[in-house]
Amino acid sequence: MDELRKSFHHDLDKARDDLALLAARVVEIIPRATSVLLDGDLEGADLVIRGDAEIDAHAVDVEERCIQILALQAPVASDLRQVVALLKMIAEIERSGDLAANICKATRRIYGHELDPKLRGIIGRMGEQASSIYAAAIEAFRENDAAKAAAVDDMDAYLDALQKQFIAAIFESQAAGHIDLQVAVQLAMVARFYERIGDHAVNMAERVTYIVTGKVPDHKKPKRPQVNVDDPAPSTGAAEAT
Amino acid sequence: MPVDTDSLQPHDASREAHSDNEVFRLNDLDVHYGKFRAVRDVNMVLRKHEITAFIGPSGCGKTTVLRCLNRMNDVIDSAKVGGQVLYHGVDLYGPEVSATEVRRRIGMVFQRPNPFPKSIYDNVAFGPKVNGVRSKSELDGIVEESLKGAALWDEVKTRLKSSALGMSGGQQQRLCIARAIAVQPEVILMDEPCSALDPIATARIEDLMQEIKDRYTIVIVTHNMQQAGRVSDRTGFFTTEVNPDSDRRTGTLVEFDRTPVIFSSPRDERTEAYVTGRFG
Repeated sequence: MDELRKSFHHDLDKARDDLALLAARVVEIIPRATSVLLDGDLEGADLVIRGDAEIDAHAVDVEERCIQILALQAPVASDLRQVVALLKMIAEIERSGDLAANICKATRRIYGHELDPKLRGIIGRMGEQASSIYAAAIEAFRENDAAKAAAVDDMDAYLDALQKQFIAAIFESQAAGHIDLQVAVQLAMVARFYERIGDHAVNMAERVTYIVTGKVPDHKKPKRPQVNVDDPAPSTGAAEAT
Repeated sequence: MPVDTDSLQPHDASREAHSDNEVFRLNDLDVHYGKFRAVRDVNMVLRKHEITAFIGPSGCGKTTVLRCLNRMNDVIDSAKVGGQVLYHGVDLYGPEVSATEVRRRIGMVFQRPNPFPKSIYDNVAFGPKVNGVRSKSELDGIVEESLKGAALWDEVKTRLKSSALGMSGGQQQRLCIARAIAVQPEVILMDEPCSALDPIATARIEDLMQEIKDRYTIVIVTHNMQQAGRVSDRTGFFTTEVNPDSDRRTGTLVEFDRTPVIFSSPRDERTEAYVTGRFG
């Protein structure tokens, strides 16, 4: 079968690849932000925050190219679904970068305060899970795999459960006088940042489903089953491969 | 009007076979030109007050199918239509059906505007006169209504006696639409009606189609996929298949669905390949 619109499809493939690269950068900066937080690494915090500005600039570039494709190429069918999905996903990636930067900004605010081993442990697990979810979403995108995309939501349920456990641990630590109220508030926000990164990965996975099936996400999610954070974290198998 | 309108009344036996909303039903439509099978096994239902677009590569049979809808293939000696074309449940190719009455009810607009070398007025009045309308005031009324219906009245009302050949291409095509609707058809078939027109004239015809679709059922053949997307409610994608026993190709209907589905999430990979340009 002859390819009739090579240049257009080349542009579309390029935008897709660039989006995947940008998402991979988010996968990388989540563990870096976690290390920054746990180590109180202010220099590392600056690096992540500066890196986020680069992600923002690249995101604008991908968005502009998608708009250009819409304006000039009138894409339809799977091409249209790709462009629409890219435009939605780029916003998720840009916001996820902001959230990783926010974790680093919180590091500055709680600098000098010691954290309980329990709090530190849950932070580490939230960081790993957020990064794994993101890697799984991007793997599903790269492979156009709706089954892998569907597994991302389960992974996010585990992250949400970790967040709840972390909030309870913050209360305990604050009540025991190990951290003051200001630190407790900052940590609660950090938990929220991880949880939101997971939500953005879920949104990206929903767009993968849209690309593959044409089904627009309805955002009316069924009630999730109770997740026990002491069980192993669910995975698509994609995260380990990334 | 002294025309045979009885031949197209639904038979009692076939009334149950179609809903009120259904205008055409094609059952296993097959068209041969001599021994060459041009189109095979087309099955589709065309609905009232909808615009249906036929798209597909050259030679896929979309125009052949369109021409079956008002028996235009009758004028080609070698053409043979198999299967059924039911119009309100009546077989259009049944022995008791009058081809003249079929074409009065199912008008056609062609690729190139083809006004008669007559005045604007006479072009529109021609059909009603053939159908027996003699009263000058009645003809005047029909001409005005038809030209208004084709969004042309304001542009030509002061020069109705001028030659139609002096109009622009877009005006001529709208005159052809006025001529088609002057005989009060139920269906208008359009065979690439904008392919000879500039973008502004094309936009006027497309707007006109939207304006008149609540009064007529429209079927349009177009090479312009964006046009199909802009104007139609449903789209049928036709393609060609190579015959195993000859090097000639036969057209067939691949997919027929609501237009947004065809252009956002087609079900058949051949449709997907054609609309995205991964087909040559």
